Amino acid sequence: MSSSTKFLTLKTCDDKKFVLDEAIAVRSQTIKNMVEDDCVSNVIPLPNVNSKTMTKVIEYWKKHSEEGVSKDVLMDFDKAFVKVHHSILHALILAANFLNDKEILDMMCQEVADRIKGKTPEEIRKEFDIKNDFTPEEEEEIRKENAWAFE
Amino acid sequence: MESKRNGASNLPPKRKNTHKSAQLPSTSVKDSRIPVLPEELVTQILLRLPVKSLLKFRSVSKSWLGLISNPEFINTHLSKSANNKDFTHHRFMLSFCLPKYNLKDCSASSLLYDSVAEALDLEYPTKEIRRSVEIVGSVNGLICLVIAKKYFLIWNPSIRKFKKLPECRDELCFGHHSMYGFVYDEVHGDYKVVAGFNNEGYGYSFLVKVKMYSLNSDSWTSLEDFESGVLGTKSGVFVNGKLHWANSVYRRSGWDIISVDLADRTWGEVEQPYYGEGDFGWTLGVLGTDLSVFSNYRRIQADVWVLKEYGVKESWIKMFTIDIPCDPRMGYKFCQFFCMSNKGEVLFHFGSTFMIYNAKDHSITHRSPHLEVTGYDYEASIYIESLVWPFFQRKESRMQQRRRLK
Repeated sequence: MSSSTKFLTLKTCDDKKFVLDEAIAVRSQTIKNMVEDDCVSNVIPLPNVNSKTMTKVIEYWKKHSEEGVSKDVLMDFDKAFVKVHHSILHALILAANFLNDKEILDMMCQEVADRIKGKTPEEIRKEFDIKNDFTPEEEEEIRKENAWAFE
Repeated sequence: MESKRNGASNLPPKRKNTHKSAQLPSTSVKDSRIPVLPEELVTQILLRLPVKSLLKFRSVSKSWLGLISNPEFINTHLSKSANNKDFTHHRFMLSFCLPKYNLKDCSASSLLYDSVAEALDLEYPTKEIRRSVEIVGSVNGLICLVIAKKYFLIWNPSIRKFKKLPECRDELCFGHHSMYGFVYDEVHGDYKVVAGFNNEGYGYSFLVKVKMYSLNSDSWTSLEDFESGVLGTKSGVFVNGKLHWANSVYRRSGWDIISVDLADRTWGEVEQPYYGEGDFGWTLGVLGTDLSVFSNYRRIQADVWVLKEYGVKESWIKMFTIDIPCDPRMGYKFCQFFCMSNKGEVLFHFGSTFMIYNAKDHSITHRSPHLEVTGYDYEASIYIESLVWPFFQRKESRMQQRRRLK
């Protein structure tokens, strides 16, 4: 290990600490900005990310920072990486958004889109915890406009 | 709903947080509740969905309906779909005149990457098998059709909405003088149809009456007449704000590339390179965003030329030469280029088949969509699945206002 390697400590909302090579942590634009603005103290708090989600994010960062990994291996890694419960996908989207990691955000949003595209509006409401605020007549009218899309 | 760019927007909107870090979305994973995404992130997911799913999801909630109907969302969705390198949201529309007039439709990504691509009949507005149907052009997911060589329609097949254009009293040119085009005029934010109509005069060369329709004004206006020879391509090629056609004027050899500027409505001509000696079939097209010429030498070999910098004659370059694996005794076939795949291959259409040319090893692969009846030539047009309406949505917005007021 070279003497120039700097480490950062990240603290998640559930008070878990992660010690990480700065070169890897700056995959997060948010952390990068903090480092560049020189406003990094010993510990960087991540009030919007829990340890379970952060473990996944770091797993991704480390794999994608490894040297000499082939494209195929990374593609297989990504495929396996997104195979998680949708609550974890949502948590990863929120974390990637907070950390400002466009790569993870894109991949997760695409995964959610692929999973929901064949679902019904009822299933979507359940999955996104959305209340149906249409009256039955309004809903019927909107559905009728594109009835064929439900075939 | 407002959205913020900072981390605070990660807070689920429905929960009232009394303390800064006490109830954060991530903690809800534990109690098996799903973290609620703010609208900006829901938008990021919806932008990646196919049109059909979005139409279904209009009935999820008022906020989703508002999001999906928002013109800004529709435009961003369109550009995201258009830039998708896998062509997931692109489709091909095939138009047949034999054995009967018909349109078929086939996914572009399956034509490029799958072993079998299915082409299915497309129910188009005012369909009738005895009336001809031709594709004038496609832009932003809208297709312009001309039915029975008389009626123009602007149609979005993905949302199944169409508009019939007001009729012109003149008779549309057909045969060698047939010319039309359909474009989006970015300067005026308007969709335009250009078409050539019969004027007096017969023979190889005559004056064509050219008219332009504007969706904004919902009317046709006249452009300057144009001296037509034999036109190489019916549907005009849109590059650099201008529509282009290949025109071969009587008693002169070769082809001119003539253009009409949509903004100032003037005619012009594009200078061409020296293609070499030979008997050339000739097609105009677009490769990427550049004007291109497909010069087909004795029907067995074709050079593909691209104008790298519009208006600069010296910037024409010969991109590649393709050996066309077909019988040279066959008649001249209309040939069109469509897209470069994510592997750098070029997809083109030739007669009754599609082919993929690989520039690395000069190989050609046939990629015909599966058709019930084979052997008939067709023309092909590429389009994007989009939410763009083929008319301005004044009625729709009133309906939505009414809904909101209820």
